[in-house]
Amino acid sequence: MSKEKSAPSAVLGWLSSLKLTLVLFFALAAASVIGTLLPQEISLPELRDHFGPAAASLINLLALNNLYHSMWFRILLLLLCTNLVACTIERLPKTIRLIRRFQDPFDSQKLSRFGLSSSIAAALPIEQAQSVVESAVCEAFGRMCRIESGRAGGLCPFCAVSETGRWSTLMVYAVHLSVLIVLVGAMAGSFLGFKGAMNLPEGETSDKVMLAEAESVTELPFALRCDKFEVSFYDTGAPKEFKSDVAIIENGREVLKRSIVVNDPLTYEGITFYQASYGTSLKEAKIEITDPDSGKKTAMTLPFRQPVTIPGTSDQLMIDEYEENLMQVGQAIELVYGKQGRQSSAQWILIDRPYHGNRIENYLVRVTQTDKARFTGLQVKKDPGIWLVWAGFTLMTLAIGLTFYSSHRKLWVCIEPDKKSGKTIVTLAGRASRNAQAFEEKFEALRRGLENRLKNPHASHEIRGHKTDKKGTE
Amino acid sequence: MTSSFLLSLTTFAYLLCTVLYLAGTIFRFKPLLSAGTIAGAATLLMQTAGIGLRWVESYRMGYGHAPLSNMYESLVFASWAIMIIYLVFEWRVRQRALGVLPALFSFLAMAYASFSKDIDSKIQPLVPALKSNWLIAHVMTCFLGYASFAVSFGISLLYLIRKRFPEDPNQESGFIVFLPGVSQLEWFNYQLVLFGFLWLSVGIITGSVWANSAWGTYWSWDPKETWSLITWFIYAALLHARNLKGWKGERVAWLSVIGFGCVLFTYFGVNFLLSGLHSYAR
Repeated sequence: MSKEKSAPSAVLGWLSSLKLTLVLFFALAAASVIGTLLPQEISLPELRDHFGPAAASLINLLALNNLYHSMWFRILLLLLCTNLVACTIERLPKTIRLIRRFQDPFDSQKLSRFGLSSSIAAALPIEQAQSVVESAVCEAFGRMCRIESGRAGGLCPFCAVSETGRWSTLMVYAVHLSVLIVLVGAMAGSFLGFKGAMNLPEGETSDKVMLAEAESVTELPFALRCDKFEVSFYDTGAPKEFKSDVAIIENGREVLKRSIVVNDPLTYEGITFYQASYGTSLKEAKIEITDPDSGKKTAMTLPFRQPVTIPGTSDQLMIDEYEENLMQVGQAIELVYGKQGRQSSAQWILIDRPYHGNRIENYLVRVTQTDKARFTGLQVKKDPGIWLVWAGFTLMTLAIGLTFYSSHRKLWVCIEPDKKSGKTIVTLAGRASRNAQAFEEKFEALRRGLENRLKNPHASHEIRGHKTDKKGTE
Repeated sequence: MTSSFLLSLTTFAYLLCTVLYLAGTIFRFKPLLSAGTIAGAATLLMQTAGIGLRWVESYRMGYGHAPLSNMYESLVFASWAIMIIYLVFEWRVRQRALGVLPALFSFLAMAYASFSKDIDSKIQPLVPALKSNWLIAHVMTCFLGYASFAVSFGISLLYLIRKRFPEDPNQESGFIVFLPGVSQLEWFNYQLVLFGFLWLSVGIITGSVWANSAWGTYWSWDPKETWSLITWFIYAALLHARNLKGWKGERVAWLSVIGFGCVLFTYFGVNFLLSGLHSYAR
């Protein structure tokens, strides 16, 4: 029974353990190394060519060729998030309790047990010692706050604390929160958004985006028209700028005209267009087909991807693809031959090289004229999660800086009379959450200063008086 | 006076600086260490002038961009960043006996940039993908991180050496006694890792924001991105282990050495061995 009861807490204990954090850090690092060394997003046949059948099937089984999107990599990331949340659940209440405890009563005995503490005996009445201490601490550490003394009876000692940066212990939670925000933003982007591409020839308008995954097409709520695409070059021949002049068309009306260049995308209604590539597309081609049996020549005009009936027959021809440089031999079109009741055949036809292989079915094909247009390749993205990612990044930067370079510093002071000697005992103790060395130095400086001031409380005034005197005589 | 003349001079001046620090440490002669500091600071000024002049020259050529755009320029900046971080660190902790390795790293970066046949030192125009204000923010933040890790790597090495040869009061000779104590070295190492981690994080973030406007995606598992993340994981592990698990000493020093190995691979390995979107950094 007790074993069952402890099971959830054991799981929470494991999930929130630092051991798991370290294991996950190293595992994610190792997995990422593998991901950069093995080629990613290549198919099983390609893997077989590279690594042989046995290694290829192992790589495929472990999804090492698509590692960053594999289930097990996602599980590692999910475990890291769970680890973060579990750690927060376990530690945050303790931290908050610690922060809230700043007004806990204390006495000189408690202070003397601190790692950093010191006692000074002064031959001053308690009120005078108190004012000396208050001004010294105020100078070095900031305002003091009086605390109700813990002692019930007898003389009530003076107890006070001075602290700065109480919030700094919370900053590490802000760093962890920022990691979660970034990951939630990334998930929101991948579930609610899309990534795709559109190739838009000059002068044409389209609202269709080819999605990167799933090879499907999505329609935008507005259309984009490409007015012009330009490439400029430096004297060295290196490309200087890729620029597309585009217009947004909404309900048949032009609502926006702008240029898109690399590093300066266009965002409209949450959808962003990036300059990604460019190329040449075919609008239509004039071809001449020759029937080798009769020697009859027929001229045809084929618009891109529109089937045209061969005159005198019921068969159709269509240009399905256009390549600017097919297998390094130049421009080519892919012709598709459609015959009723039969599967259509397809054949690549070289445009610049009229040779005997340029044939489809039994026709010899010659391309006589092509009408081409330059197109701009735009990457299209909708990412509703991006603001979360930016917010996470901002928080992460601030919070890492504050975690490393701010510190919760607290100074306790207790002043009480010593009944035996009749002296006044001043007890100091301090603690810093970070950069303890600097704090210790500051504490030591305060102690030395206090010792001097408490031993001859008028020293500083005398010096000051001396100085003014000197000034007066000059 | 041209930038390439100033930067060539910088290479030899860093060698001089390294020799001064080394001699000062080996002979335990403090004036030599002070000379090392002066040489380092003077070289840094000269290098700053060289980088500034190169910037001006790129405008005269009509390209007009910050000298942070290719392997040569990034190596020069890396060397500059290592020296400035080391000098500020030296001034803060008032400890001069640690200068040998940072000065050596600065010299090696400059020497590699100047003498390697693979590295073109000509000022080249920016390709469209690099034309962005994020270039300066991204490269500077990344290299501040890398340089800080380089100095921390040097200190980790000294720490590991110091650990192998414990203090022997009878043995008066040897430079080891001249080094700060192990606990101090450990603390220095930690401080530099903190500084480096902050800048590496900002460097990854600025890179990510830039990638989003240039490539349309803030994270694409490009080898350079991935390796910077691997580096980030290693140093994150170091910080967690040291702060919460109380790992101190050798394990942290070794993690810092491994972390710097990742930095080197992110910088050189990815450029020369793996292909990806960052290919212009060759």
